[in-house]
Parts: sequence; C-alpha cells; structure tokens
Amino acid sequence: MSATTASPTKTNTSEIGQQIRNNFQTYALVVAMLVLWFLFFFLTNGIYLSAQNFSNLFRQMTITAVLSVGMVLVIVAGHIDLSVGRLAGFVSVVVAYLQAYTWNKYMPGAPEWFTTSLSVLCGLGVGTLYGVLHGYIIGYLRVPAFITTLASMWILNGLILIRTAGRTIPANQPLFSYIGQGYLPAMAGWILAIIVAILLFIQMFNGRQRRVKYGFTLAPFYQDILKTAFLAAIVFGYVGYVNAYSGVQVPVLILAIIAVIVSYVSNNTRFGRYTYAIGGNREAARLSGISIRQNTFAIFVLMGFLCGVSGVIIASYVGYGTIAAGTSYELFAIAACILGGTSTLGGVGTIFGAMIGALIMASLTNGLQIMNVQAAWQYVVSGVVLVAAVYVDMALKKSRG
Amino acid sequence: MENNVILEFKNVTKKFPGITALDDVSFSIRRGEIHGICGENGAGKSTLMKILSGVYPWGSYEGQVIYEGHELKLVDRSIHQAGQEGIAIVYQELTLVPSITVGENIYLGKEPVEFGVINWDKLYADTQQVLDKYHLDVPARGIVRHLGVGKMQMTEIAKALAENAKVLILDEPTSALAEAEIEQLMEILRGLKQHGVTCIYISHKLEEFFKITDSITVLRDGKTVITRPARELNVEALVHNMVGREMKERFPKGNRKPGEVILEVEDLHAIDPEDPSYEVLKGVSFNLRRGEILGIAGLMGSGRTELVMTLFGEYGKINKGKIKLNGREITVPNSREAMLQGISLVPEDRKMHGLVLIQSILRNISLANLDQFSSLFRINDSAELKVSTDFAKSLAIKASNLNAPADSLSGGNQQKVVISKWLMSQPKVLIMDDPTRGIDVGTKYEIYKIMNDLSEKGIAIIMISSELEEVLGMSDRVMVMREGRSVGTLDIAEATQEKIMALATGIASQPIPER
Ligand SMILES: Nc1ncnc2c1ncn2[C@@H]1O[C@H](COP(=O)(O)OP(=O)(O)OP(=O)(O)O)[C@@H](O)[C@H]1O
Ligand SMILES: [Mg+2]
Repeated sequence: MSATTASPTKTNTSEIGQQIRNNFQTYALVVAMLVLWFLFFFLTNGIYLSAQNFSNLFRQMTITAVLSVGMVLVIVAGHIDLSVGRLAGFVSVVVAYLQAYTWNKYMPGAPEWFTTSLSVLCGLGVGTLYGVLHGYIIGYLRVPAFITTLASMWILNGLILIRTAGRTIPANQPLFSYIGQGYLPAMAGWILAIIVAILLFIQMFNGRQRRVKYGFTLAPFYQDILKTAFLAAIVFGYVGYVNAYSGVQVPVLILAIIAVIVSYVSNNTRFGRYTYAIGGNREAARLSGISIRQNTFAIFVLMGFLCGVSGVIIASYVGYGTIAAGTSYELFAIAACILGGTSTLGGVGTIFGAMIGALIMASLTNGLQIMNVQAAWQYVVSGVVLVAAVYVDMALKKSRG
Repeated sequence: MENNVILEFKNVTKKFPGITALDDVSFSIRRGEIHGICGENGAGKSTLMKILSGVYPWGSYEGQVIYEGHELKLVDRSIHQAGQEGIAIVYQELTLVPSITVGENIYLGKEPVEFGVINWDKLYADTQQVLDKYHLDVPARGIVRHLGVGKMQMTEIAKALAENAKVLILDEPTSALAEAEIEQLMEILRGLKQHGVTCIYISHKLEEFFKITDSITVLRDGKTVITRPARELNVEALVHNMVGREMKERFPKGNRKPGEVILEVEDLHAIDPEDPSYEVLKGVSFNLRRGEILGIAGLMGSGRTELVMTLFGEYGKINKGKIKLNGREITVPNSREAMLQGISLVPEDRKMHGLVLIQSILRNISLANLDQFSSLFRINDSAELKVSTDFAKSLAIKASNLNAPADSLSGGNQQKVVISKWLMSQPKVLIMDDPTRGIDVGTKYEIYKIMNDLSEKGIAIIMISSELEEVLGMSDRVMVMREGRSVGTLDIAEATQEKIMALATGIASQPIPER
C-alpha cells in the first residue's frame, strides 16, 4: 500500500495509534513519575505513599503548578517570564498586609467572609494589573520579555522589601487559611467526583454527536466508554485516597479547575490556537491575520492573574507574608514546563505535561525530605535529576524518528 | 560498461509511518551525465536524494545504493560523510544562514583554522577560487540576505561543490528562479559537466529536462516508471508517465466574465521598511475587475512581491498614492486589516511565511480561518476538520492523515496546504504570489481550475508568476513591472512573450531567449 490522500474517515485504529504516538512523551512522563513514586515507596518503607503524605505531596505542588499553567503559554508563544515568583511573593505580602492591618483598621467588625473575599479579589487584582503592565510593555512596546520580566523581578523585590520592612506579616485568620490549607468534607469530595464523572460522559457523548453531524466515522463505542471510564476511575481513586486522610485539598481543587480551563482554552479557542501558531512561526502567524500584540498582551495578563492566584495561596498556606515569599518559584515553574515537554524554542507544550512536570518536581523534593536528606543534597539531586530527565526525554524523541 | 555507472539504486524501499515513500526503486546513473528525475508531488524524489546524502542513513531503508562499485553505508547524521564520499546536495529549500557572508556560508563547519583561529584571508581566497572555477558570479564577501534568490542558489551550489563533489544533487533548483536566471543555471551545469561532475537534476518544469539532461527517470507513487535517454522522450511522454494518463492541455479553459472594477491602485509609492531611504515602489497604477485574473510579470527584483505585500499591509510604508476598494479609499496597516477588507495573499515563501511547520496540516489549513469556526469562544473542531478535509481532498494533498505535521509533507504538498488555507478565507481579492511553485503538472491544472472557479464566482485574482507561459495561459490581462514601476498592461489577446519581455527589460527589441 502506498500513500493515500488525506482522509479523516480512515480513523479508528490508525487514529488511536496516531494519538498514542503524538502523546508518547506525556505517557513516558507519567511512567517516569510512577517509577519515582515506587522508588520512594520502597526507600521510605511505604510512608511516601501513605494517604497523609500523598495528600501533602499534591498540596505542595500547587503553588508552582499554578504558575506553570501560565508559564506554558508564555514559553509556547516564544517568551519567558522571570518575575512570576516575585510577583506571586509580592501578592502574598500585599494580601497578608491587608488581612493583618488594613481591614482591622478601616473596617473593624466587618464579617470575616467579606474581608477574606476582599483580600482575595485584591490579590488577584494586583497580579492581573501587573500582568497588564507586562502585556503592554512586551506586546505593544515590544521590549523583550526576558528583559522586561528581569526588571520586574528587581522592582518587585524592592516593593516587597518596602511593604514588609523586613518583618513577617501574619495572615492566619481561619477562613483565609482555609484557601491554602483547607479540606473539603468527605461527602463533598464524593459529590464532586460524581459531578466530574457525569461531565466527562456528557462531554464524550457530545463529541460523538458532533462527529456524526459532520459525517465522520466514530471510534467504536466501547473504546470511548472505556477511555472515559478510565478517567472517571482516576478521579474516584484520587478522591477516595485523599478522603482516607482529610479530604480533597482546597488548593489542589483550585489548581485542577484552573488547569482544566486553561487547557481547554489552549486547544479550543482562537486565543489558544494563535498562541501556538505564533510560537511555531511568528511570520506565518502574522500573515494569517493574527494580531500578535493582542495575543501577547492576553498571555501576560493571564500570567499575571495566575500569579495573583498563586500569591493568595502562598499567603494562606504559609500563614504570613515574608520577604522570601516566592523566591525562585519562577525557576520551578519553568523547569516543570520543560520537564513536561514544553519546547524552549516555542510552539510546543501542553498544560497537562507541565502539571506532571510540577508533580514530579514536588515528588522528588518531598521524597528527599522524608528520607531526611540534607537540604544541600536535595538541591544537588534535584539538579541532576532535572538534566537527566530532559536528556532521556530528548533521546527518546530522537530514537522514534 | 560497468565502470560507466557511478551510482546504482537496487530495490530501495523507504517507509514512513503510514506511508511508503519509495517502493522498490531501481535504476542507475552513468558517470558524467546529467540525470533528470521527475514525478508528481510526493512521488519520492526528495526522499531518494535524502538517502543519498545521509539524511536517512543506511539501515533506515531497505535495498542498496551502490556508489563507485561499493555499497554506500552512510551513518546517522552523516552529511559530512556524504561530502567526503564526493556526494553533495542542494536541497529543495534553501539552507543558507542569511545574516553572514557567502564565503562564511560556503565554509560553514569546515572553516580553515590556524591555531584554532579562523584564517579569514584563506577562507575568502578559497571561496573566490571555487566561484571562479565554476564561473559563479557571486560576491564572496556579500551578505547572503542581500542577494537575490538566483545568487543564493549559486551560493548553495558553490557550497556543495567546495568539497570536490563527484556527484551533485539539485532538488528543484529552478522553482524560485526567473527565466533569465534559469538560463544562467543551465550554463553553470553545462560547465560542471565539463569538469566531469555527475548531476542529478529534479524539477517540475519539464521543458528544462530537454535542455540539459542526458537521461531521465520518472517516479510515480514511489516506484520507478522508466529510465530512458532524454532524446527518446518528450514533454508529453513525461507527463503521461508521471500522472499515468494523457493530459491534453496545460491550462483549463475558463468561462470568466470580468465585471466592474473592484480594486484600484493609483500611483502607489512605498519605502523599504528596513532602509527608509530606499523607495521600493516608485509608481504603480492598475485596476482589477471582479471575476478577473490579472497576471503580474516582471524580472526578479522588479518589485512584484513588494507590491502585493504592500497591498496586504505587510511590507513597505506607503508614502504616496491611493488604494481604492469598491470605489472607497482604504488603508491597510496590517494583514489582519487587509483580510477584514476581503484581501487575502498566498505568500511566496511557504516555509517562512506560509506554514507553521511543526503544526499539523489541519491546523495550518484552518489557521487563517478560525473565525469561521468559532462561536463566541469555542472553535467547532468538527466543522474545522470537515471543511479542511474537503479542501485537502479537492487539492489532493498527499498525507497519511491531516494530523501529520506539515513538515512531513513533500514540498509541493506543503504548497497545496498554503493554497488551501487562503482559498478557505473566501476573499474578494485573492493575491497569489507564485502559487504553483514546486507543484507538479497535474496539480497545477487542478489549481488553475480552482482559480477559474473562483473568478467565475466573482472573486478577483492577482497572480504573480515567474513562468511566462503560466501568466499567458491564465490571465485576462498582464501587468508588467520594471524597477518598482508598472510599465504597462497588456490585454491577453495582444500579449506575447516578446512584448512582455520587452516591457520587463525596457529594451524595445529585446530578442527573446529561445525556449
Ligand atoms: N519525515 C517524513 N515523515 C513522514 N512522511 C514523509 C516524511 N518525508 C516525506 N514523507 C512522505 O513521503 C512521500 C514522498 O515525499 P518526497 O518529499 O520524497 O516527495 P517529492 O517527490 O520530493 O515531492 P515534491 O515534488 O512535492 O517535492 C510524501 O508522501 C511525503 O508525505
Ligand atoms: Mg521534493
């Protein structure tokens, strides 16, 4: 058989094969993560995968993972953002300051839900506004992102020092702490899982209907059912296991919602598609009538917003605002993206990959901590693993063609 | 007899996932000859050459390549190894570094060094020697970016020859060249033959084979159809062997009825965005009617591409003149604005301006047209797939499926993707800058038919082409440009190659290069 003319009707097996081939890298990454888990499981006599540590592990990854959700798009579009750690840190300090002093001073006796919401909104607002500034400078004034965000890193560093004046600012009010430290009641967790499963199935049926409407042959029904059931099973499994400790972690829930939405946006909206096209070939994208300025602007606004989210979680999780908040998180976020298959050349990368990347990094740190490895050596091991992982990934890619 | 053969393919088969690019290819090439290879887009020509140059190393294909009496076993990433064996290749797509000089490009990766420091004098002396030996008229110290496509092509050849090549492969060297430059290239090749270099020559411009080659091999669907001496063949026979059927005419008859004027350009002047002191367009005026095909002819560097890029809002800054669409004066600050006004452009350079090579065929086709498939936010991916598939089918894009990345396509099929993308945008004015570059005769015919269809529907088309025959075959009127000016518009009834050349060169009684 020689080449055939393109036809999407030739689906089924070949399409699944193609899908697996396309996502090979991601699967390899998931496997790597599972291997890592089992390794630590044995090295720590099982403590590592206990419900408690499992729950902690996921919670620990959220802060940098939220940042890497946005960082994927930034890198895919061919930019970089070095300021996200400091911006998140700045937001956390601002929010802590509001929680500790401002509301008490100007609105004594205001209900806690009100002040907390206000703090969160302010945090998100500060992050987003800063993103707007970045978007304007990088998108419209065309100052390279590397320089702009490097400058921001210093500026924010200064702002943090000014705001904290070297002290820590307490932010440990119960409701506020719930954002970064809280758990959903077991029942709520289960209900959530059921809702997610239902949505997954609805999504699958809708997809099939759409394909029928446009006259495409469908993958066999059992295949789609199996695929969806598998995803649902993972959700139930996860909820079950974290319920065995304290329940679904609130920050992880926030992360999941953000990752799903942004991932959807990156595949199914013009904004997302344009981002990948710009990163893949800027000139071709421009000549296709894409406004590169607008798109760049939007990317950095989104990145700023996510820094806001991350900053709020930091303040709530740590319980206070400090000068050190968010230091070098940008590097963790970037590393998670690269580990997850995002190309530094732009044009390639997925949110899902970055999430796995972030999880691997958190798994490593967490495992080494449990094993009581000295902090110094944790750094060394993390560095070595990072380079090794990216090398293996590249080698795998090359061996396949 | 045996010693006469320098290169032999024995049952060469090369498979890619989902596609067999070469299927049991066998033929041989004699020492010192110019051997032509032709075939439709995706027939496997470039793939076969990439086996020769080591891009696809020994072991990644089945069968044998016998070179100078021994089996050629190139290892992974062995472009240098092929070079040492005396096999040099000029790829279908130019591979020069635009920001450095000709000499630096020619010796890139093999610079002459003394104590680890590059000996620049030697490098440029050697460069000059190579250029002189093969009569290549290129400045050794010229920056590549500032050269025309023709000179870039010569630089590529010099680069290939710098290592004393015995076999030189040229993959579609003329697809980007104009007639005069093609003639120059032919001259260079004849010179090479005198130096005893064996050439493998790939092209879609079939007439060229009969000017230059000694024998010709035709590939179809990855199989060898024939290998014959050129004098036993003619263009019709080649076409017949390539497409497997008779083709009576090269240009389909349209039933075009040009209507009222839709686009008017009056005395347009524009300056080079990179060099504000230089005026690229020095007065261009023309009009375009609904349902008409206007051909633009001119030599390389006459400002044709610059003109259409300016109309599309993506090149020069307009400093004088007017553009009117439907009688209303418009400004086009960028391509997005141009598209909103109903102007689309199929760019000349598919790799740089047309495609996102790492993305799938599907995403490339739909990229400029996502508005069509989007409700407020969401892209309807089923509609996207459906419409894209229809276009891919009507242009016979040859691929395992639409999710394959664009860079896995053959050159001609990539061009078809670019064309699909812009046809889908349903413009009022469609500008096509050398749309059939690198496309085989059969598909050219399909594209011409589509152009006819579009113009019958009332779309106005501007077509730039470096092939005069194509301009004459497809246009209703021909506008000729010279040195940034429009120097005349001919009705198709009165247009001849002679008249066009006379206008293009500015020499009234210019004798026409024989064809
Ligand atoms: N890297 C690749 N991966 C998958 N398929 C490929 C790859 N390279 C080439 N092909 C396929 O192999 C076939 C032959 O391609 P090739 O580039 O040799 O064609 P060609 O004869 O040079 O065509 P053209 O005249 O358009 O340049 C095509 O169908 C192409 O899609
Ligand atoms: Mg080719």
